[in-house]
Amino acid sequence: METLVQSASYLFDLGVIIAALAGVTWGIMGGALPGISPSITMALLLPFTYTMEPMSAIVLLASTYIGAEYGGSVPAILIRTPGTNAAAATVIDGYEMNRQGKAGLALGISLYSGVLGSLFGLAMLILLSGPLSRVALAFTPPAYFALGVLGLSVIATLSGENLVKGFIAAILGLMVATIGTDPVTGGTRFTFGSSELLSGIEPVMIMVGLFAMSELLVQAGGRGEAERVTSRPRINFPDLKLARRLAFPQSIGGVIGTFEGVMPGAGGTIASFMSYNEARRWSRRPEEFGKGSPEGIAAPETANNTVAETALVPLLSFGIPGSNSTAILLGGFLIHGIVPGPMLFQRSGEIVHGLYAGLFTATFGMLVMGMLLLPACIWLVNRPRPYLNAFIFALILSGIYSIHNSVFDLGIMMAAGAVGFFMRMLRFPFLPTVLGLVLGYLVESSFRRSLVLSGDDLMIFVDDRISLALLMLAFLFIAGSLGKRIYDLARRRRVEAFSEGSEARE
Amino acid sequence: MISRDLVGGLAAVVIGAVYLYFAYQLRVSALDDSLGPSGMPRIYGWLLLSLGLILTAQAILSRLIGAPLAAGREALRGEWEGQGRRIGWAAGLFAIGAAYLSAVEKLGYLVSVALLIPAAATFLGARFGPRLLAIAALGAVALWAIFALVLGVSMPSGLLGRLGL
Repeated sequence: METLVQSASYLFDLGVIIAALAGVTWGIMGGALPGISPSITMALLLPFTYTMEPMSAIVLLASTYIGAEYGGSVPAILIRTPGTNAAAATVIDGYEMNRQGKAGLALGISLYSGVLGSLFGLAMLILLSGPLSRVALAFTPPAYFALGVLGLSVIATLSGENLVKGFIAAILGLMVATIGTDPVTGGTRFTFGSSELLSGIEPVMIMVGLFAMSELLVQAGGRGEAERVTSRPRINFPDLKLARRLAFPQSIGGVIGTFEGVMPGAGGTIASFMSYNEARRWSRRPEEFGKGSPEGIAAPETANNTVAETALVPLLSFGIPGSNSTAILLGGFLIHGIVPGPMLFQRSGEIVHGLYAGLFTATFGMLVMGMLLLPACIWLVNRPRPYLNAFIFALILSGIYSIHNSVFDLGIMMAAGAVGFFMRMLRFPFLPTVLGLVLGYLVESSFRRSLVLSGDDLMIFVDDRISLALLMLAFLFIAGSLGKRIYDLARRRRVEAFSEGSEARE
Repeated sequence: MISRDLVGGLAAVVIGAVYLYFAYQLRVSALDDSLGPSGMPRIYGWLLLSLGLILTAQAILSRLIGAPLAAGREALRGEWEGQGRRIGWAAGLFAIGAAYLSAVEKLGYLVSVALLIPAAATFLGARFGPRLLAIAALGAVALWAIFALVLGVSMPSGLLGRLGL
């Protein structure tokens, strides 16, 4: 209740309102562009957030995520091309409704379900994140180390088909995190005499390079003519009778979205398809699925918008990003020196409350912007890709330069882009690299400080109750993931892939 | 035929070995903690090297005991089809970016972006002409206005700065 009251005070904060509306607008437009995932849309904004107030910056990025999840359904319904991976399930019935001349209704159901999903997800986020903040003060260096290990254990579920590749990707991130000043002694490591490397490589350069730059490099080889939207639909919301019919599939989407969002590595795509399947299983008209069923849009769209909110639970509570988009959001926090995790609620409670208020504003902003921006989205989808990509390229280079006014940073970002391009080609996932990069410092500094405190006695990690609990949780996480892999292997099932940006998913 | 996993594994081995070499060069001081500044880097280096070897071994073993020879060879051929062309296109765009990097401080932000946009768009398949140049010029001015005027970022003035503009 106290959280709600404190968050409500930010509902009228002009900075929060502007950031939420700007974010959701940018998100809808970015999500509507096939090939531009929510994480890329967010990564393009990341450099701009340097000059912003921390609260506005975080609200801007989180609102972009929400907007992008809806935006992805626009091309999915209109040209049978999902703007985001999570919108892939919407294609099935959305495009069929478009063919039947009901594109406006399909878009209305998608928007309406997205808003409901976001509101439900926000309620779950507030409900689940709050209690975890109470243990914050009990965190010691061993507990922080264990927290880092728990974060890294997520790699087991993010590694797609090959666990070894996931670990290699994570170690690459950990290696980049060692560049710069040593966290305990203050000596320099891997700087090769460069003063620019003394403070290390900021995650934002690597994230923009891996997600956005590598996507441009991949798309450089594409010369095919993209499909164009020829119709000019207007959004129609469902009437009361249809809204009642959609309530059950939307509930399914909300529940599955909550579960999948909280589980690191699961994400909106899996939630959408699971919701679609469950909605069909429990529907009174399962035969309509695949032939333009409104329920087939409502369930996945509710699910992926719920995920956009509940995916923040592990990020805010433990500092663990469970998806590419939340990894970018983590980058946004780190830019302003705010470390998500147990102490976030104690040290930067106002940021969290502002974020909740911003997400609430963004959800209603999505309803308005979704209607207003439909013609703009259609215009954008119809733009020639070479022009669009050239402007994105200029935007990335300008944005990264603006952080420190440094050409050196541009070189780092482009190098990360080239690495990302080859990682996609060789089918390495990105997210473990980002996890290694952002958790590397925490893991190393906490581990070494704990050893200094205990006189090199490793039992300190077992004696500390929080550390022990987190390490056991990490062990269970890894064991569970490995067990599932072995089970899938025995049944010769393909392991669900992982990353929004991975070539394997394209 | 070489699989992607084999290339990935060998790349990891090379990166791990180079990283380890530099990790062992890190200076050790009497004031260091027990693990020291080189402790974690050495662990990471050895881990990467080992995982690279495991991935390489996995790739070789899956070739030996995996799909029948003819089918496997066909699959591998398909796996690499068109990749050389993709690398070529990516390298081209990368080169345009590298040219921008080397020019931005000399020519200035406005001029460099006005050149970058038509160069990248033409390379990516747009038709070069007055329309493209006009869009690029307007786009460059718009980006300059966003960064320099709205966000207050000090973008390189370069050529125009020397001319007093």
